[in-house]
Amino acid sequence: MISLLIFMPFLALLILNIPFKDITKKDAFWAVLALSALQAGISLFPNASFWDSASDVIGNFFKLNLAIDSLSIVLLFCIGTVTFITALVAKHFITDQKRLFNFTSLLLVILAGMNGIVMTRDIFSLYVFIEIAAIASFILIAMNKDIDAIEGAFKYLILSAIATTMMLSSIALILLMVGDTDLSVISYAMKTSERAPIIMAAIGLFICGLFIKGGLVPFHGWLPDAYSSASAPASVLLAGIVTKTVGIYTLMRIMISAFGFDNTVKTILMLVGTVSIVFGALAAIGQADFKRMLAYSSISQVGYIVLGLGCGTGLAIAGAAFHLFNHAMFKSLLFVNSASVELETKTRDMNKMTGFGQKMPVAAFTSAVATLSASGIPPLAGFWSKLIIVMALWAAGHYAYAAIAVLASVITLAYFLSMQRRVFFGKLSGELKDIRETAGGLVLSASILAAITIGAGVFFPFMLNVFILPIANMIGR
Amino acid sequence: MTPSILLLLVLIPLISGIASIFMPKRASLVSLLATTLNLLISIMVFKQGLSYSVPWLGFGIDLSLRLYNFSAFIILSISAFSFLISLYSVVFMSGRHKSNQFFSYFLINIAFATGAILADNFIVMLFFWEGLLLTMFGMISTGTKEAFRTAIKAFIILGIADLCMMVGIALTAHLAGTLTISKINLPIHSLGGVAFILLIIGAISKSGAMPFHSWIPDAATDAPLPFMALVPAAFEKLVGIYFLTRICLDIFILDPKSWASPLLMIIGSITIILAVMMALIQKEYKRLLSYHAISQVGYMILGVGTAMPAGIIGGLFHMINNAMYKSCLFLTGGSVEKSAGTTDLGKLGGIGRKMPVTFACFIITAAAISGVPPFNGFFSKELVYDGALERGVVFYLAALVGSFFTAASFLKLGHAAFLGKISKENENVKEVHAAMLVPMIIIAVACIVFGVYNYLPISVIQSVLGEARLEGHNFWGFPANMTLVALSVIVLIGALLNHLFGVKKFGSGLKAVDHIHYAPGLSQIYAKAEKRFFDPYDIGLKIVGAIARIGWWCDKFIDWIYDNLVVRVTYIFSDGIRFAHTGNYSFYIVWSMVGMIAVLVFLIR
Repeated sequence: MISLLIFMPFLALLILNIPFKDITKKDAFWAVLALSALQAGISLFPNASFWDSASDVIGNFFKLNLAIDSLSIVLLFCIGTVTFITALVAKHFITDQKRLFNFTSLLLVILAGMNGIVMTRDIFSLYVFIEIAAIASFILIAMNKDIDAIEGAFKYLILSAIATTMMLSSIALILLMVGDTDLSVISYAMKTSERAPIIMAAIGLFICGLFIKGGLVPFHGWLPDAYSSASAPASVLLAGIVTKTVGIYTLMRIMISAFGFDNTVKTILMLVGTVSIVFGALAAIGQADFKRMLAYSSISQVGYIVLGLGCGTGLAIAGAAFHLFNHAMFKSLLFVNSASVELETKTRDMNKMTGFGQKMPVAAFTSAVATLSASGIPPLAGFWSKLIIVMALWAAGHYAYAAIAVLASVITLAYFLSMQRRVFFGKLSGELKDIRETAGGLVLSASILAAITIGAGVFFPFMLNVFILPIANMIGR
Repeated sequence: MTPSILLLLVLIPLISGIASIFMPKRASLVSLLATTLNLLISIMVFKQGLSYSVPWLGFGIDLSLRLYNFSAFIILSISAFSFLISLYSVVFMSGRHKSNQFFSYFLINIAFATGAILADNFIVMLFFWEGLLLTMFGMISTGTKEAFRTAIKAFIILGIADLCMMVGIALTAHLAGTLTISKINLPIHSLGGVAFILLIIGAISKSGAMPFHSWIPDAATDAPLPFMALVPAAFEKLVGIYFLTRICLDIFILDPKSWASPLLMIIGSITIILAVMMALIQKEYKRLLSYHAISQVGYMILGVGTAMPAGIIGGLFHMINNAMYKSCLFLTGGSVEKSAGTTDLGKLGGIGRKMPVTFACFIITAAAISGVPPFNGFFSKELVYDGALERGVVFYLAALVGSFFTAASFLKLGHAAFLGKISKENENVKEVHAAMLVPMIIIAVACIVFGVYNYLPISVIQSVLGEARLEGHNFWGFPANMTLVALSVIVLIGALLNHLFGVKKFGSGLKAVDHIHYAPGLSQIYAKAEKRFFDPYDIGLKIVGAIARIGWWCDKFIDWIYDNLVVRVTYIFSDGIRFAHTGNYSFYIVWSMVGMIAVLVFLIR
């Protein structure tokens, strides 16, 4: 019954917007919470009959080309968790009931869109779901209605439009050459036919479109502005999961299930990935704005995922998927903490912050967990995913890439530690003496994410057997 | 007799040593009691073969102690010396600063030395052996204010040597496949040779041979005197030479034809000559004696190194003789220090009449160390000569030259300290307390007994070698080779004539050897040696210092790379990137387009 994951959010949206007397605007929030929690919960049981696509009556009736594999399940879990967290954060940030209703309604749309991206096996449906998620994100970013937010949303919109153009052109070319939009058909055609220049152009265009969506260097221009100008809950959602699903997961899916790993494509992926790693890390180290630094750090971390993907071996891709998962967790966590800090101090300038750890112990601790995981310190989850990627690169003979990946971790550690020291350690300064731990939702969300980050690292053997090895086996070699 | 009595030999001094820390007033009596008990037990177990073993740490590391004729002999000597010196210290150390600490270290030192001798397992032996290092450090540091530096010097020198021995033990155990000492018997070649050399370094450094000697003269002036009489004079010789002999006879098979035997003889000869040359020019009672403590070790190493029965027996006999007369000489030094308040030879002189018993003891033991018949030193030296001559004339000559200078320096010492005119400050010097005289008298008498009736010690030493090695020879009685005896006597007469010549020329006993000291060529070398130019420890410190400086600069440079270069380069890039992100989206579009074109060109080309 996997199509429920797409239909339920839409259905909920529909019901909430029908002016029944019994349904209040508040219920939208609970609907999101329930749906996302259910989704995350059921993803933990990959063998449940729920995932059996043959029994999917609704999906088959509408001839939706949906399918599930180990990679999709990891993503569905991330989507469920981060959406849940975003709803909690939004509840805390947005006091106006009407705006909260609008926000949560958009969350339902994005949830449906992302679930569609993850499950569909048709390149055109994929495009449609990407657009559903993207358009909802524009509105989310712009919802604050201040000039920065609108500017950020506008940049995202423009560059997304370019990406859309590229992807649509690519789909047109593929349709022209292959005659179908089903991924398996495309994959078969790619394997059997000559690699004509026009096919290569189609691949290149599609990949570039996804590079823009995922914010890889040099296609990343929109990303720092969009992340930093969006409201706190929107940036958690955007940085945590939307760009990862829309850009990076799609890239992985399209490479694995349709295009296949051509040597030139692999080289491009690894190059772009490495450039993003180094560039993002170097840019992050010079930032004073908390959220901007996190945005550049996202570019860098996404680079690792693409580098792993570009390596093309089963282990590397599994590592990339695990890093995608980890990144969704620790980056959402960091954005939640930045939201806590911003809520208390009304600023994002790290030069004005010091010693917040005394008053905000949960934020300080969870943010230390997240930064250490991001820098790849054992036994946190980020260590294992980076280790798998580097090991796979080394095994495949890409020694230089492996070395750069390791060295860039040092820069990652440098900027994160500097952030941690500036914001949370040291002495509390006079003006900001009255800050306190933000209550309720934010603390709860930070704790959940930190627990997942620690748990996934400490219980790594479980992660390895249940999630990572199935992905590696699925791809093989 | 139950073998567990061996544990008592270690435990009595150990426990009483710990107890004496808490009894500052009674420390000396505790010490006397414990050493008396130990002496009684060692007399009881002498002539017995006992083995005691309990499992300890696993991996073949058992707490095993073994008493057989050789170790029983050494244990008896150790107990006797510790008893006598304990008796002496009761008076000597009374009223001194930190005296309870001294007695505590003294007793624990006895426990460790006994344990090291008895141990039949390498790890157990190493435990006691390294323990000796600590107690030695403690005893030296209870001396004068400068003693701490000397203690550190001794600790570093012996620590490095012990480290070598530790590696040697690991190698030996690896080659032999067991840690039980009495089961090991290895040939000296390839890896075995390395292990042999490493073990030898441990043994000879403990006995104070060159080049591990340089802390001893410093300790002579800084450490409390009983320490000198006990440790460098007696214990270190007994423990070090005991282990050296074990290495050469049991653990390895020292063949006269192998390279190891000449190596040991060369070390021995060099130690004899260089140390005695330094002793000759000293103008301080205890410092002069300390160089002899080094020089005499040379005879023992030379003797054992000959790998001839005569040489080995001579070396071991010399070991016990040296322990006797050298500790007695140090004790006379202590008496002089206690009475006259100084041991500077320039300020002494003529006190022989005031301290007749001390002077008599000095004469006997000085004659013994110089090899005058019929004292014990004469017989042991003759045996060493005998062995050395069989292996080469050079070694014999080295030993003979050593004897000449030994005799010369003791003539000078005796003349400068006890004879000549008495100075005004020393008018009131009196003979020391009886408790200090008794140990000296006992040892001096023993020196005569071991000479005249040398069957007593030599028969015990011969049983150590065993009948097979002796081939029916007996080495007691008067030396067989009369030519060698004649040569020795000629050398002694030469030394006396040399002394008379010096006294006549310079007019005092103190300056009797100045014609050698300031001889052309020698005087420059002496000047540099007195400034510690040749001290291996100081040379080592200089090298270590240079390495440390180089390391410091390297570290600075690496720090600079990390703290400045890397950071600056990173920030240059970082600033460049920030500068490029103007926020103008048309730029961002251009970047994306350029990127796309590059990707397409790369793919289609």
